[in-house]
Amino acid sequence: MIEVTDLYRTYHMGSVRVPALRGITFTVNRGDFIGLMGPSGSGKSTLLHLLGVLDYPTKGKILIDGIDISALSDDERTDFRLNKMGYIFQEYALVPELSVMENVELTAMAQGKSDAECRKASMDVLDIVGLSHRLNHLPGELSGGEQQRVAIARSMVNRPLILFADEPCANLDTENSKVVLGKFHAINEELGQTIVMVSHEEWHKEYFHRIIYLKDGQIEREEQQE
Amino acid sequence: MADTANRLRISFFLGLRSLKRGNTGSMLMTIVIIGMVFTNMIFLPSIITGAIRNYEQQTIDYYSGNIIIEPKKDAAYIEDLGDLLARVNRAPGVLRAAPHYDLGGVMKFEGNRIPGSIIAVRPRDETMVTGISHTMTEGQYLGDADTGVIVIGKLVAGHKDESEDLIPSLGGVVTGDSIDVEFTNGVTRTYRVKGIFETKSFAVDPSVYITWDEMESISGHPVDEATSVLIKTVPGEDELDVKYSLVGMGIQEKIKTWRELLGKALGNAVESYGIINNISTIVSLIIAIVVIFIVMMIKTLNNRRQIGILKAIGIHRSIITMSYVIQVIILASAGIIFGLVVLFLLNGYFSVYPLVFPEGDIRPVFTIGDLGANAVMLFIASLIAGFIPAWQITREEILSAMRR
Repeated sequence: MIEVTDLYRTYHMGSVRVPALRGITFTVNRGDFIGLMGPSGSGKSTLLHLLGVLDYPTKGKILIDGIDISALSDDERTDFRLNKMGYIFQEYALVPELSVMENVELTAMAQGKSDAECRKASMDVLDIVGLSHRLNHLPGELSGGEQQRVAIARSMVNRPLILFADEPCANLDTENSKVVLGKFHAINEELGQTIVMVSHEEWHKEYFHRIIYLKDGQIEREEQQE
Repeated sequence: MADTANRLRISFFLGLRSLKRGNTGSMLMTIVIIGMVFTNMIFLPSIITGAIRNYEQQTIDYYSGNIIIEPKKDAAYIEDLGDLLARVNRAPGVLRAAPHYDLGGVMKFEGNRIPGSIIAVRPRDETMVTGISHTMTEGQYLGDADTGVIVIGKLVAGHKDESEDLIPSLGGVVTGDSIDVEFTNGVTRTYRVKGIFETKSFAVDPSVYITWDEMESISGHPVDEATSVLIKTVPGEDELDVKYSLVGMGIQEKIKTWRELLGKALGNAVESYGIINNISTIVSLIIAIVVIFIVMMIKTLNNRRQIGILKAIGIHRSIITMSYVIQVIILASAGIIFGLVVLFLLNGYFSVYPLVFPEGDIRPVFTIGDLGANAVMLFIASLIAGFIPAWQITREEILSAMRR
């Protein structure tokens, strides 16, 4: 489903070149729940940004569902993000002026669904994350865990091929983290949803099928879970 | 097409919610500013239009009537007046014709001497054609049989304190005073002032009027000629149509509508006023563009992260930009409506308390054309001012925007 080949990303800070990724190659299969782990500065988030079509690689190729995403135009990249993937950010990244329901509906609307279809699809995913009772609340009225569950619902509403999650529990306490990870696990197990998640918490490992360890912008090792 | 409709649908969705749940104070401030700019764009032109209309109405009411007949080229007088008046008064669309006979002379009162225009009129005709008889501030207007009396304009009467006078005057004449008039034919008469009028027209208030009979007694014989004939048309009649029917009757004298009489002089004034209006409008538009630009720039800068999020979840840049444009459209519409309300209130106020100028009481005149044109200009300016910051900010890289 995802083929990453010899991927490089170098940042330029003035005259200084900072290599964030240095020749990454790996594949992700349909239904995988992959963990990207490693110390700070190892390139986990950079890699996820590139996979999530939020950034451009300096060199190398990413094929997702057979499509070379580096060859896409700006509009095609936007459509790709909308139709093929869901992205969950560390800071929830909800639109503060939209209610829970509206945040989720928005991406369904962008796909051209009717109001009724948007509402049904949103209700379905909000049911899954257990927030169907807080539809009209604004993000500011929710706890961190609830906001992250809204973000999960939003990322799933368009039935994406892949879910990318960038340290989704970083701002949550252990109890809420378990709730969120439990949701990911359930989505993966019951719906066969492919998930790639960045984490630096050792205890998250138990949820992943496979873990790719990064260090200094390179793959240090891969670990298959039981 | 369906894609465009869906993009608009999402833009409206985002724009409306942003207004609904955004900063109310900032929204109201923007509406008030747009409203004030619109008021400013309309108000000055409305005063100028009011002044022009006032000047035109004064010309019709006190100076020329709707149509004026003047002597043929190279002639000093209109001959065969009786015959001319009979024909004119029978013409379709003519309510009444009133002859004027302009005598030059010098008026004297308590050591003050001023040259002026002494106009002989037939009071009964005159009251049907001009409105001077309705502007008496003191005394009464002339009667047909009056002799030995005169009515004088406010500017001729003047004030005891000459610093209050706009032009040289007789120094504070009041009704009942006697003034001496030395006509250019050498005759000198003393007249009792029967009344003083004030039309506020600078062309009329320096004049004095005597009756036709009085003028004939000065001349020593009946007078069948005039220096001009003023015509009042039937309300609703087109003045040009009436003029052409008079021409068609074989009248050889110069026939001019009031508009033709004012001609180039008014045209130049209107053009000058137009330049002032245009400068005022451009300045107002620049203020509107700058204010809306700043408001939208602050809004979009504050929403940079949110814009980054929207792009990250697959919302097209054009949709996001359009959502801000929609907000500006709504704010501009609300501002223009607010401006219209302010103008409506101003109109009500100035109808009761007009602006007092030496040329007369001036009320603003709001034309649908001015309102529409200025609303469209402000609307377009608002769109541009709203579009540019939104377009700029949505071009930022997603990750860079989200880090804000």
